[in-house]
Amino acid sequence: MPIKSIDPRITRANIEIQNKETSKENKVLEKLDHWQTYEVFAQNKRGEHYSHVGSLHAPNPEMAWILAKEQFGRRNKITGIWITKTSDIFSVTENEEEMFELNSEKIYREAGGYKVMDRINKFKKENKKISEK
Amino acid sequence: MYGGGNIFEKPENEIQEDPVKLAEFEARILAGEKIEPTDWMPKEYRKQLIRMIEQHAHSEIIGALPEGTWITRAPGFRRKLALMAKVQDEVGHAQLLYSAAETLGKPREEMINDLISGKSKYSNVFNYPAVTWADTAVIAWLIDAGAIINQVANSKGSYGPYCRALERICQEESFHLKYGHDNVVFLATGTPKQRQMVQEALNRWWPPIMHFFGPSDKISVHTETLMRWKVKMASNDDMRQKFLDMYVPKIWDLGLTIPDPKLRKNEETGVWEYTEPDWNEFKRVINGDGPCNAERLAVRKMAEEKGKWVREALLNRNEMYSVPLS
Amino acid sequence: MNVNEYKYNSHTEMSDELTSGVKDLLFKMADDELILGHRNSEWTGLGPILEEDIAFSSMAQDKLGQAQAIYNLLNQMGEQDADTLAFTRNENEYKCCHFVEYPIGEYDFSLMRHFLFDAAEALRYNSLLNSSYKPLSDLAKKFRGELRYHTLHSEVWIEQLSRATEESKARMQSALNECMPLALGIFEPSKYDDLLLQEGVFTGEENLKSGWYEHIQNILTNSGLKVPDLSSITPSFGGRNGYHTEYLKPLLDEMCEVYKIDPEAEW
Ligand SMILES: [Fe+2]
Ligand SMILES: [Fe+2]
Ligand SMILES: [Fe+2]
Repeated sequence: MPIKSIDPRITRANIEIQNKETSKENKVLEKLDHWQTYEVFAQNKRGEHYSHVGSLHAPNPEMAWILAKEQFGRRNKITGIWITKTSDIFSVTENEEEMFELNSEKIYREAGGYKVMDRINKFKKENKKISEK
Repeated sequence: MYGGGNIFEKPENEIQEDPVKLAEFEARILAGEKIEPTDWMPKEYRKQLIRMIEQHAHSEIIGALPEGTWITRAPGFRRKLALMAKVQDEVGHAQLLYSAAETLGKPREEMINDLISGKSKYSNVFNYPAVTWADTAVIAWLIDAGAIINQVANSKGSYGPYCRALERICQEESFHLKYGHDNVVFLATGTPKQRQMVQEALNRWWPPIMHFFGPSDKISVHTETLMRWKVKMASNDDMRQKFLDMYVPKIWDLGLTIPDPKLRKNEETGVWEYTEPDWNEFKRVINGDGPCNAERLAVRKMAEEKGKWVREALLNRNEMYSVPLS
Repeated sequence: MNVNEYKYNSHTEMSDELTSGVKDLLFKMADDELILGHRNSEWTGLGPILEEDIAFSSMAQDKLGQAQAIYNLLNQMGEQDADTLAFTRNENEYKCCHFVEYPIGEYDFSLMRHFLFDAAEALRYNSLLNSSYKPLSDLAKKFRGELRYHTLHSEVWIEQLSRATEESKARMQSALNECMPLALGIFEPSKYDDLLLQEGVFTGEENLKSGWYEHIQNILTNSGLKVPDLSSITPSFGGRNGYHTEYLKPLLDEMCEVYKIDPEAEW
């Protein structure tokens, strides 16, 4: 007997209650039924970097962006979207933590590693002495 | 939306983990750092997280049904638009949460299969019907309020992708809560008929609301490890107390009666006292015998089946499935 | 355009006959948006996949928002408020076309309707950008972005499904065949068309129809579908004059069920 629901949409759908026992073996979805995964990057304001905002399931890039626009751009205004297949992302991640560690002794490539005022002041002082003579 | 009513399984047998890695893992969590998908993690952590996030995702998609009951009947533009946006958000929450669970290695298709076959659970409250329009108001206000308490706690948990999803979800939930409150206020301050509708809805929903945070800590499965790993973030009783503290006064403000004669705040201890919820009923419903379990699953199955030709048409079979990044 | 360049900044500057013509146009536009937005909202939570469920729901919300804005404009022109107009009129007072009244059916029908209707809608609003009646032109500007997404969404779906599997091709073709007579009902001529055109308010249904047919024929043919010849179809007319299909009355009863518990109450 079809379900008579409080929800008129469900009553109209004319569906049967499933048998509890047979439903246990129910495998409604096969592998990949919900398509591949894509990664979504969005820009919140022109001029800013794009950042990762989430993933979604889609069959191809064009559809992915159409669908991403509403899931990731319907509440906050965004100014652009990038889409890529998850499998196209080459990632080096957290478990390479040691490699990401910064060596604080590499001051030769820091702005703070170059302090020349002392040298200039000393030079000026000596120059002055010479000219006074 | 989601409560603490999730059932954690006892570990089947103690799995031996690499003690050095386990210590590093626990130290990281203790230091307040997040765990990311590619990090080493104990098998038990992965399993319980999949279980919890999956249950949460199912609760969102099934949670779209009780309120969806009134989508075609919402009175007036303001309510019609808001209810649609709210139910749409719940679908969006499911989308975000399934992705978060997928990062742990279980594809979305498998999760949905487990939902439809009755193998995975979802929040118990959605097995009750939204009998009148006023029920949607009570759900949007009080069930979402409960969900926020739970989700705010969980958003401080240890698993990065889940926390990131929850951050966005919590923002949207605050709109749900405001919308629900506004809706209840209009009914409670409206005509006698409207007042009666909302009081009856509250009477119907109070027991499920008390069930929402799950069985009392005194009788629920041991969760110390899960708490240490920041999977479970707050005790069921604490969350229930917090909910009562925040919302009972607001309900009373509207002159509504809560159908529990024992409900009161003990001024000395600061603890709310109430009639112990019927935990047998809770177990019965979570195991499939609630008023709407069968309908909810049949509807979900119908939606998947009806959409099958659409998905199949566009499926590119040369592609491989990849676990989403985050 | 400068404010002074509009022939009519307010309806008070119009003749009674023209005011009636504009209201007639606004009612059919608003009723179409309301009924189709309502229909499409039935998919929320039940769509073919989560991501599309969200997108389709957004567009249904947009339609209801557009309906509300048009009723508000009617309200400024002396009609009742938006809720009263949408939720309390009798069936024969609605001016929607038959196309929007039909049940959602399967997703093929819903998508094809979405494509055919929104193509017409986008062209209608596009022509209204140049309307001599300022509020109409303003409305058209306001919804331009939303409509752009709707047409893009519908075109991508139609193109992809019409070219995919044998099943999906056959489904899209039969949905198109079913939709065409109904879609032509959008352009049911109005006795005000000539006046609206003369006064520069609106281009008229006949002009709209030829632009629309060319547009959809292009896309559908490129997608591999066979577009029925216009001369072979009898359009489903009547809606614009209050004669509706068997589907409208039950839809209205359902939509207004709660509102009518007490129309005086604030919900
Ligand atoms: Fe939610
Ligand atoms: Fe919510
Ligand atoms: Fe549209």
